[in-house]
Amino acid sequence: MKLTCLQENLNKGLGIVGRAVATRSTLPITQNILLVAEPSRLKLSATNLEIATTSWVGANVEEEGSITAPARLLMDFVNSLPNDLIEVTLPVNGHTIELKSGRFQAHINGIDAQDFPPIPQISEGIATSIEAASLREGIRQVTFAATTEESRPVLTGTNAELEGKELKLVATDGFRLAVHKTTLISPVAEPTTLIIPARTLNELSRLLGDQEEPVEITMNRQKSQILFHLKSAEIVSQLIPGSFPNYSQIIPQSYTTRAVLDTEKFLQVIRISSIFARDASGIVRLIITPGSELGRGKITVSAQAEEIGGNVSEIDALIDGEEAKIAFNSKYLSDVLAVIPQAQVALEVTTPSSPGVIRPIGVDNYVHVIMPMFVQW
Amino acid sequence: MPIKVLAPEVVSRIAAGEVIERPASVVKELVENALDAGASQISIEAQSGGIDLIKVSDNGAGIPAAEVELAFQRHATSKIGNLDDLEKITSLGFRGEALPSIAAVAEVEILTKVISEGVGSYVYLSNANIVCRESRSRPQGTSVSVRHLFRYFPARLKFLKSANTENSHIAHLVSQYALAFPEVSFTLLLDKRLSLQTAGDGDLRQVLSHIYGLEVAQQMLEAAENDVFLKVTGLTSPPSLARSDRSRLSFFVNRRWVYSALLTRATEEAYHGLLMDGKHPITIINVSLPAAEVDVNVHPTKAQVKFRHEQIVFATVEKAIKAALKRTSVAKTPATVFRDTSWQEIASPELNSGHWQREGMVKDSESPYVTPLLPLKLPVLRVLGQLATTYVIAECPDGLYIVDQHAAHERILYDRILAQWSAKKIEVQGLLQPVTVELSPREEEILKANKENLTQFGFAIEAFGDRSYLIRSVPVVMAKSNVTEAINALLDDLGSKENSATWEEKVAQSLACHSAVRAGQQLSYDEMRELIRQLEQSREPRTCPHGRPTMIHISSHQLEKEFGRK
Repeated sequence: MKLTCLQENLNKGLGIVGRAVATRSTLPITQNILLVAEPSRLKLSATNLEIATTSWVGANVEEEGSITAPARLLMDFVNSLPNDLIEVTLPVNGHTIELKSGRFQAHINGIDAQDFPPIPQISEGIATSIEAASLREGIRQVTFAATTEESRPVLTGTNAELEGKELKLVATDGFRLAVHKTTLISPVAEPTTLIIPARTLNELSRLLGDQEEPVEITMNRQKSQILFHLKSAEIVSQLIPGSFPNYSQIIPQSYTTRAVLDTEKFLQVIRISSIFARDASGIVRLIITPGSELGRGKITVSAQAEEIGGNVSEIDALIDGEEAKIAFNSKYLSDVLAVIPQAQVALEVTTPSSPGVIRPIGVDNYVHVIMPMFVQW
Repeated sequence: MPIKVLAPEVVSRIAAGEVIERPASVVKELVENALDAGASQISIEAQSGGIDLIKVSDNGAGIPAAEVELAFQRHATSKIGNLDDLEKITSLGFRGEALPSIAAVAEVEILTKVISEGVGSYVYLSNANIVCRESRSRPQGTSVSVRHLFRYFPARLKFLKSANTENSHIAHLVSQYALAFPEVSFTLLLDKRLSLQTAGDGDLRQVLSHIYGLEVAQQMLEAAENDVFLKVTGLTSPPSLARSDRSRLSFFVNRRWVYSALLTRATEEAYHGLLMDGKHPITIINVSLPAAEVDVNVHPTKAQVKFRHEQIVFATVEKAIKAALKRTSVAKTPATVFRDTSWQEIASPELNSGHWQREGMVKDSESPYVTPLLPLKLPVLRVLGQLATTYVIAECPDGLYIVDQHAAHERILYDRILAQWSAKKIEVQGLLQPVTVELSPREEEILKANKENLTQFGFAIEAFGDRSYLIRSVPVVMAKSNVTEAINALLDDLGSKENSATWEEKVAQSLACHSAVRAGQQLSYDEMRELIRQLEQSREPRTCPHGRPTMIHISSHQLEKEFGRK
């Protein structure tokens, strides 16, 4: 193996796959990065056996070949080099890579590429593609609602429902539910439902960066693996087996009180209250008061912490319906308000013990349901 | 066989069997006699487990020459005179059965002298008959030697354990009397070997140091509590000194050593939540109360007593021990690592207190003993890091603290849950979709019995067919844990009979245990700081609700010593 490439490109490529490297593993080779010199490009791959990431770096390849090298060492060394040409050589049948850049030179002992776990290839299956921006928004608005509690594995992932040209992303932790709808560029051949691990989507979202080109998605026939093909990288992931709970009846179909208010101001008020709510299980109390001849409608947000203190804030709102009281975990409110780009949101409630609904105003592709907390008023 | 009245010797042997069960019973009767005679020095000697010889000598009042023979007749006693006296017994014995019972099963020699007579009297009895009687010289007091115990009772002899076991019974018994009477000097020789010697200076802690060792004696806490008619005094161990059996629980009623399920329960109740399951404290408690309040005539050996006002006795003992424990620190010091047996400590002036007065009631005197106790509350700690993803290491000016993250979080949650409960402000989180739990028949019974209680704690539980239940809401603390698992564990804990906690404590314990951060969970610096901050605010930060310690404290002093800086 013999090739030259730019430090900048190699560093970027290593950065992409570096996150997929296993941190703790019983299989030491998964802490290495696989380097494969292909005609006119260098392929970099890493896997933790759950997610595998691949990226390609433009290179002048004189001699093809492959090897694996310790990720940390390789990344740190390349990262410290000046932006210059790097020459990578590996003697035939040897295991020591030589990296040379100007007056810098290093030898890294690698492990034979044969021993590296195979990176899954999904060449046939159900395929579609999606605008990068839509996927980014979907991931951002949904994945945070998944649980970190391992006892119900299906809830640790995001449910993806593909049907025709529609993609629905859903996540819940048993206390809140986020549902995002978006359109695909090309329709899927058959309706498909699968559960994608939260980590895969977060990694995907990071790799998407500000990419504008569409993302190609391929799922294998057994629906056990999914591949996202990006501009300069690929990510293959295992899927979570099992079926996602039926969530549709959880979303309330009606409300008795609906408040429309400024998203940013609402978030600010909740964040202020959460300072006091911290010591009281995060409870914030909302009193929704409709407007009258005397004044405009408003929502009063308060938090009380026993023995510490409390606070009360008010925010103007357009109220439809009767007065209502409801208490939420402040984190659940601030989590959802932080991911809504629209200027206004609607909060819909019925009783203090039935779920509250948050919808952005102006679009109808997102619904967020939060179960209230039961408190003494 | 026709019914007939038994011959007197048969009767006396039956009666003797009740009183004299084993060599230790002989020692008990003789020591009690010596104490009732007002002795200040008692020496006990036993050989071969007391079967060959038991000798008890005292410097008490003695028996006048004319009454010596009478003393060996059944129901002959100088301790009570008429029926009324039975109501106000202050002596340990009163039945007049000890000496005749012993004489019925062994050979007995007695040498006794009262101060008013010039010479002592000596009597030798074999098989309850006087074989020899003469005058011999002796200073004031009485010596009784018992030889060949049970020689003519092969059946009884056969049931005795080894000499060592019988010796240990005698040693245990003498220890108890030494604890009850710190002002009496006891000397115990077992097979000519000095087993116990107390100074008789009235210092209970001193006596304790001879029995359980100096280290234990130094750590024991003073317990004292008064009620209208009774007074509880004694010493009790800090939770860190727990032992795995109950043999170190000593109870005295008017300084009579008794077995009392009531007092045992009161003590264990006081330690509730401070000791691990299966651990028991070291406790020496004397309950002083008017003779009319207690009936000691329940059992021939008087090992059991009946209280007229059981509830008051129970509550006062519990209160006394609880108060003693409140003043202590529960944080363990790793004594084995930092053991120090320098002479300064042995000669410590702190070993000086806790005396019981001879009369039933104890005088009100503040103990001069001041234990260098740590305050129960924690000082402000600075988190240094996490050890083995299980412990949080923190420091403060008085040294190093190693905090068990699970136990500490458990304590915080437990306090929070009980606080919310008592304020009737349980915080409840609704579930988006009810969780279904399947219960075993036993669990279902427990659930039915406790449904009201669980509702108060924020559980909304609905029946959903065959032993299935829907959980619609849970207390906030539990929201982050596995609901199904937690409910099953909660029902198990509620059904457990081993735990003497009240039901709300059980619920709080169970919720706290299953919601707390686990060992092995990595914590960020902020999480650790928050954990320690909340722990600092707890009223009992040093133990988890199950009684395990939440922390180990290594004082700066210990560190300096270990590094040879001091």
